[in-house]
Amino acid sequence: MIRAFPIGTDKATTAVMEIILRLKIKDAMTTDLKTAKKEDSLRYIQQMMKNNYVTGVPIVDDEKIVGIVTVNHIMNALDKGYIHEPAEKYMGRALVVLEDDMPLSFAITYFNKYSYHRFPVINKEQRLVGILTSRDILTTLLQELNSEMEELEGKIELKLAAERGCTLNVITRDYAVNKYDFENAGRASFELKKILKERKISQKIIRRASVASYELEINLVIHSDGGHLLFTVDDNKIVIESRDIGPGIADVSVVLEEGYSTANEWIRSMGFGAGMGLANTRRVSDHFDITSEVGKGTTVISVIHLEDGDEDITIG
Amino acid sequence: MYRQISVDNVAHAVNGRVVYRGDFEHIKGVVASGLMSDVLVTEDEGILLVSNLATQQVVRTADMVGAHAILITNAKALSDDMLELAEELSITLMSTDMSMFETCYTLGKLMYER
Repeated sequence: MIRAFPIGTDKATTAVMEIILRLKIKDAMTTDLKTAKKEDSLRYIQQMMKNNYVTGVPIVDDEKIVGIVTVNHIMNALDKGYIHEPAEKYMGRALVVLEDDMPLSFAITYFNKYSYHRFPVINKEQRLVGILTSRDILTTLLQELNSEMEELEGKIELKLAAERGCTLNVITRDYAVNKYDFENAGRASFELKKILKERKISQKIIRRASVASYELEINLVIHSDGGHLLFTVDDNKIVIESRDIGPGIADVSVVLEEGYSTANEWIRSMGFGAGMGLANTRRVSDHFDITSEVGKGTTVISVIHLEDGDEDITIG
Repeated sequence: MYRQISVDNVAHAVNGRVVYRGDFEHIKGVVASGLMSDVLVTEDEGILLVSNLATQQVVRTADMVGAHAILITNAKALSDDMLELAEELSITLMSTDMSMFETCYTLGKLMYER
């Protein structure tokens, strides 16, 4: 039994319903039609299916649909030996068609109601203008969801930027950083460096931001169970935020001491884990904040101001 | 303090090889360490990073502190990954068979004497 599309039930969220009501069948249908005439032989239609990778061919007479030949019809023809005969006598005539101006939700109810794999689509003048398969619906919905998500993410980023007091000419970035992934460690910081270079920010500031970001990125790789490195840059400051999903730090004041480390031998053999990271991040930051909870995770925020001639480095 | 010296002078002095030639021809100072955490704490600019560690993260670290060149000691084999990253970041990469101590002694003579 084919599962029905969740539509018109409490499983369909308003956002999804809104999309399938807004989209028209013509937004999703395939318009590159492969059609045949009723005089064409079933063999000819079979070849057409094979060459065009379709499983149903509408039969058209003067741009109007008069029938459809599917793989089932072809199999019967092969079975019963009339494959060389014209389509007219054997094609499916009980046609269920959709109109191109109908909402996509309507088409979805049709897929639930009928067992057909495709529906011919006609326009107001009754002319065949397309064909709609469940694959067409799937593709269109995914594309639509993608752009909806993009818009949502954009809104979230702007909200995040505003929360950090970044409003002028804002750039935000979000990079996932994985546990023990030494191979990629530093890539996010490299991207930050690129952004800052493009913005023609002074070398001194770039270096401080790079060091803060890289220390936090390495910390995520070495100590966390995985997390994210988030950058927000505007005309006034650079905000680097490291958020991980655990394991968390019991006593934050201890990890800020230089030389304190829980790193193992393997990490030390890579040249890290000397217990300098957080202290060094704080050293190069104008503002530094760390919060942590065991079992939950750690968040570190480093802010670097962009004012010209600001070469003082806040210590402690 | 000490004077700028060219990458070629460094390579010649330590009997080393220039594996990749990046953006800068000169170095303004040297930081030698096997611990990248220590390197990240330095504030020197345009440095040659000398290390007995041959990993990608040495190249990353060099990039973060704006180093002009990297010299790997103790005849450590340089991986393809390391070389590719040096190319991507355009940082000169050298190697020598000398030990860390010998390398530092030699570079010290080169930079402070005369």
